[in-house]
Amino acid sequence: MKRIFDTQLIGPFAAMVIVAVIVALTTERFLNPGNLSNLSLQVSIVALIAIGSTIVIFAAGIDLSSGSMVALLTMILAQFLKFMGIPLSLAVPMILIVGGVLGLFIGIITAYGRIPSFITTLAGLIAFRGMALTFNNGSPIFSLDPALEPIFYGKLAGVPLPFFYLVFFYALAAFAMNYTKLGREIYAVGGNPAAALLTGINVRKVQATTFVIAGFMTAVGAILMSARLNSGSPNYGQTLELQAIAAAVVGGASLAGGRGNILATLMGAMTIVIVQNGLNLNAAPSSVQNIVLGLIILSAVGIDMWRAELSSLMGRFLGKGASKRSNTHKKGG
Amino acid sequence: MTIQTPLWEFVDISKAYPGVLANDKVNIKLLPGSIHGLLGENGCGKSTMIKTLSGVQQPDSGTILHNGHPTLINDPQMARDFGIATVFQEFSIVPTLSVGENIFLGNMPRSQYGIIDWARVHNEAARVLAEMNVDISPDIITARLSVGEQQLVEIAKAIAMNARMIILDEPTAALGEDEIERLHELLRNMSRKGTSILYVSHRLDEVERIVDEVTILRNGRVVRASGETKINVSEIVNAMVGEDITEHYPKEQNATDTIVLEATGLATNAGVTGASLQLRKGEVLGLGGVLGSGRTEIARALFGTDELTAGRITLKGKAVNIRREIDAIRAGIALVPENRKYDGLFFNFRAAGNITAASLAGLSRFGILNLKIEQDATRDLIRDLEISSQAEEKTVNFLSGGNQQKIVIARWLFSDSEILILDEPTQGIDIGAKIAVYKLMNKLTRAGKSIILISSDHDELLAMSDRIAIVQHGTITRITNASELTYADLVRASDDVSHAKPQEFSA
Repeated sequence: MKRIFDTQLIGPFAAMVIVAVIVALTTERFLNPGNLSNLSLQVSIVALIAIGSTIVIFAAGIDLSSGSMVALLTMILAQFLKFMGIPLSLAVPMILIVGGVLGLFIGIITAYGRIPSFITTLAGLIAFRGMALTFNNGSPIFSLDPALEPIFYGKLAGVPLPFFYLVFFYALAAFAMNYTKLGREIYAVGGNPAAALLTGINVRKVQATTFVIAGFMTAVGAILMSARLNSGSPNYGQTLELQAIAAAVVGGASLAGGRGNILATLMGAMTIVIVQNGLNLNAAPSSVQNIVLGLIILSAVGIDMWRAELSSLMGRFLGKGASKRSNTHKKGG
Repeated sequence: MTIQTPLWEFVDISKAYPGVLANDKVNIKLLPGSIHGLLGENGCGKSTMIKTLSGVQQPDSGTILHNGHPTLINDPQMARDFGIATVFQEFSIVPTLSVGENIFLGNMPRSQYGIIDWARVHNEAARVLAEMNVDISPDIITARLSVGEQQLVEIAKAIAMNARMIILDEPTAALGEDEIERLHELLRNMSRKGTSILYVSHRLDEVERIVDEVTILRNGRVVRASGETKINVSEIVNAMVGEDITEHYPKEQNATDTIVLEATGLATNAGVTGASLQLRKGEVLGLGGVLGSGRTEIARALFGTDELTAGRITLKGKAVNIRREIDAIRAGIALVPENRKYDGLFFNFRAAGNITAASLAGLSRFGILNLKIEQDATRDLIRDLEISSQAEEKTVNFLSGGNQQKIVIARWLFSDSEILILDEPTQGIDIGAKIAVYKLMNKLTRAGKSIILISSDHDELLAMSDRIAIVQHGTITRITNASELTYADLVRASDDVSHAKPQEFSA
């Protein structure tokens, strides 16, 4: 467990707590049980998709397609339920498979076709939304199935179900990244693809696999999105891909690949959602929310980049005597 | 004899980093036209000194005198204005630009309208390269050159800016024998014209050949500064390490008669032309020859990086089909690449992740890693190989070059590979770490593994190999017992390549 809860979590966790304290102090209703349970609903979709986005980033890729893929998958799910009469218990796993296959498709083009993922997923971002519009003449499809909504709104022992999805998928992802061969290979490919090749890691297969995971997690997010609104729409999931990437980055994942902790992404997503929630409760307009989100991303990356300078600055304020003493140590060996 | 005013004099320069006093009152005098050696083990404070001299950082205390006048070198630009050029060990060339563009990077000749004068870029670069007696086109993209040629481009940059003092950090780490000789000739020419040269190197044999004076650092202090006296290599070694190194090459005889690998008539499009060799169990087979003779290319052919156009490889008598690196690794062949930084290490991992990277399948069951085994094996290897204990906790970018190289080799010690190809395994690491790598080679061969050693260090190749294959023009011209060869033979073999016209060799 020491391995999963390492020092990389301290920063994102501190950021999340600080933001939560500030919002709690300035906003009366923030700590209401109703609002807190609403928070876990709000964060669930972006945080689940961010698992895939983060794993792609760990392997030094980027996934810009998840938002549009959500729209496409909600439309396919709506098609299944409303017009094809496929039962919900079958339609849900089918959507998960479709998401994985779309991811596989992107992964193969990226890894084996050697096209940068920025391009392949940018193409996906544009094309998937276009595909979503081909269903039902581009109109949303409503009232899909009465059993769909409980997937999102249901509770177990008074706790909203999405909370359990988060716990389950993040636990699974954290285990996979830290305790499995695949997880290690993903970090290796992201850290140094040339070295990975020379150590016998199947670099392309690993890269493609990260996109399959991303597609699958996007499908999970799409099912929750459909359940939340009991509908499918080609307009769902706009900028969701950017929020998911923002969650990874605020959580400290390096866009250069190879570095980061998957649980930190959950904290990154929480940080973003808490800020949005605080602004909502204070009736801030969405324009302000977007500006604040931009500033959060900048400062998260800034703090990470300037860590050395900031810590030496801190050191200068905290007692010069200590640093002088340590300077007289000689380098050993 | 008149007393010359030093071009640069560095008096009592001290520099501390958190936890380390990297330079402790270091004094260096650089006379005009002298070649001054700066020596010491890794971590002795050489790099710190270089950074101070080239304006990358400021000393905490001390005085810098330029022609006898106190001065400051505030930043690299100021150092340039003073005519100081630094060729760092980590190249500062831009691989995607042409050689000419690199030579004039930041200082492009321009026409009166401020537009880059491409004709002058080309002509001036060509002139500098011709002056250096180097056959590289100014228009070629730098990434397409070999490491050795890229090094020459770095030096061309310094010459192009008419530097009055050149700092060379490990300039020959990647060069072949005749390129080193060419570089030395160049440096002697420049020093004759009054340029001061600060020459930082691990390769003591060549320091002896080129340097007029030496300053030796240990733990940040000057332990020895020689004037005009004759420089003696073993004295230098003792001063650097601080103890007598009696056994510089601790070679063990572990070779057997069992043939584990046989390559016949290998050819690739990368320049291997019918190379054949046999490798025996427990043996170190050295590949001798100059840079560009095809040593690395033969290694790449064996490892599946370059596709074979002809020839076949058998392992323990069984023909194997190696088409990609992964096939070679599965067959038990490992490659420790020349460029450990770019091709070998995972800087995002600690020692453990680096050591087990090639053995993940064996370390896992149903895809789940056994981290207990990984941790124990890593701890044992760190202890056995005398790797810094920091390697357990810190990612490998915090370790010295010697420790990094030990970790790359430890990876293959941990894996099931029976055959290791070591490409310049001791390049750029200090004597202490080199000896550790040699001991590691003994350990590998004692365990019945076989090694193909590629090295430009003739002494090392002669001492550590059981047999040596001379590589010329992409083929192996002869294989002899290392004991039957001399240093001069290897140099001559190199000369044959550089001076003789290419000719047909029948394999």
